[in-house]
Amino acid sequence: MAMTKSQRRMSFSAFRYLVLTFWLLVVAFPIFWMVSTSFKPDREWFAWPPVYISENATLQNYLAVWADVSSHSVDEQTGEIKTYAQSLQRPWQALGNSALISVIATTLSVLFGSVLAYGVSRYKILSEARMFQLLMLRMVPPIVLVAPISIWYSALGLLDSITGLVILYFLTTLPYAVWMSKSFIDEVPREMEQAAEILGASRWRTIWEVVLPLVRSGLVATFLFILILTWSEYLLALLLSKAQVVTLPVELSKYQGSTEGRVYGRQAALSVGITLPLIVVGLIIRKHLARGFSFGMVRR
Amino acid sequence: MSRIELVDLRKEYGNVVAVKGMDLTIEDGEFIVFVGPSGCGKTTTLRMIAGFEDPTDGEIRIDGTLVNEKEPRDRDLGMVFQSHALFPHKNVADNIAFGLRMKKVPKEERTRRVQEVSELVRITHLLGKMPAQCSGGESQRIALARTLVTEPSNFLLDEPLSSLDAKLRRELRAECDRLHDELQKTFIYVTHDQEEAMTLADRIIVMNQGEIVQQGTPMEIYGNPASYFVADFFGNPAMNLIEGEFVKNGDALEFRSGHFDIPLPAKFSNAAPGKGTLGIRPENVGIGASSGNGATIERTIELVEPLGKDTLLYFETEAERPFVAVIEGTEALKRNEKVTITFPDDAIFLFGANGDRIS
Repeated sequence: MAMTKSQRRMSFSAFRYLVLTFWLLVVAFPIFWMVSTSFKPDREWFAWPPVYISENATLQNYLAVWADVSSHSVDEQTGEIKTYAQSLQRPWQALGNSALISVIATTLSVLFGSVLAYGVSRYKILSEARMFQLLMLRMVPPIVLVAPISIWYSALGLLDSITGLVILYFLTTLPYAVWMSKSFIDEVPREMEQAAEILGASRWRTIWEVVLPLVRSGLVATFLFILILTWSEYLLALLLSKAQVVTLPVELSKYQGSTEGRVYGRQAALSVGITLPLIVVGLIIRKHLARGFSFGMVRR
Repeated sequence: MSRIELVDLRKEYGNVVAVKGMDLTIEDGEFIVFVGPSGCGKTTTLRMIAGFEDPTDGEIRIDGTLVNEKEPRDRDLGMVFQSHALFPHKNVADNIAFGLRMKKVPKEERTRRVQEVSELVRITHLLGKMPAQCSGGESQRIALARTLVTEPSNFLLDEPLSSLDAKLRRELRAECDRLHDELQKTFIYVTHDQEEAMTLADRIIVMNQGEIVQQGTPMEIYGNPASYFVADFFGNPAMNLIEGEFVKNGDALEFRSGHFDIPLPAKFSNAAPGKGTLGIRPENVGIGASSGNGATIERTIELVEPLGKDTLLYFETEAERPFVAVIEGTEALKRNEKVTITFPDDAIFLFGANGDRIS
């Protein structure tokens, strides 16, 4: 029997929710697992069948990673003392490095990117082809760049330095900043600027009073996007730094290696610490995000 | 005193010539309407006067001063855009006060002048709202107020009413007219709507393909079109334009087409024979017996369209466009009825094969 129109709509809607629920589980499970593991005592890290929510939840992992309370633990069943290797640099310092590098690099990237984007949008200072070439820069696998940059950086004395990583992150994210902010600037009608101009506003005044308030949400969204990229960048940070400058993702990798073994609980506790700042930033600016990410999709 | 002169003004975009060497003087206080189909160069011309487009060649003078190199804000102009272009993040009062703020007018005077101009365009009740909360008509009034408040000598209006519905358009058209009367400033208005041009303009500038094809008062343009293009563009319903041939018949000239063979008035007897077009405005077509001086033919009414005050009668032609007559009232004329059509001598226009008027 053929379905009626409303039955069809209902079953389509049910199907849609089914797919979305499945997708939500796929996306959310690793995050859940990370949080759950971070509270597990060490014997549950590898347990089989897996422990989803620990009944012996403990802050031991957090204290060990973030407060250095104990870098060893006692196995409750055997009484054996397990010692975990100290990482070369404590996480707080890595957090500081990461915050400094990613915030400065992202700010520079969005600042220069949006100015460039304004020029492209309004004065066509870059042709379509140039704009595409700019994006193509990002299609080069980063690993390819590591060797030449290492040589360069060692000559310039930028290896293993905060400045070196800031410059690198700034330059590698600039194409994204230009492309994203251009899409927001393109949305501001020219006539709006011309109206301000003919009413007596200078070019800078027009940008400050008319363009900037209208693209602010978009720039905030761009900022967060690039912040996530630079905050979680691993490869370049690993290969271009040695002992002086360790970022959080690099620090995280030190919890899993041939000498340390697999210290899942500690790693999860550190991971939560890496993830949390981004979530906090996201929450603070969420008003802008909803508007920023839907900006180009809504026709006025 | 403000006079705008355009001297041999040209604008090219690559190989496309948007405006072909235009000469025009606009006197102080005139209401000028640029009218023409889209792509005729009217908006480009306006934007060159405003300073948003650089002319490829030629001069723009305001009050005798060459302004080609001047920024838009230094040209003593106000402009109203098709899209209104209100600042969406500022409330109505701040939108209106923007120009005053840029000119560093003190706050108290700003408030007073915003109030005054809001009263002038009747939007005082909107001052605290955001533009998004205002309707299209209200937005257009706000855009007008924002321009008026800076008291420029010249107002440029770029299709300001085209985004509004018909009723609002009529209302705001009257508003524009009233403002012009009250302010006695120069208005340069761009539109593709011949009705707006007719009702508003002191002088209409008809443009086509980057050139001025005719200029004059609305009645001159309507009553004395210089070409087929102008005749066709002005008037609603449009002028009947019948393609055919002018043929010598003894001393006189005759018009021949499949459906209409008409002896032409004596004043045309010296015109050259050949292909051409006969034009007559629907309201000048005589229907029924006693309808004055001129050639008559008998035709069957194909369709009757009563519009209330007037009635449109349609007759078949060989062309796509029917022949239309307008008669007053809703006389008891029926479809398929045979009537006498009169072509009054003084209502006939002839156009040559090149579109130029034959007189």
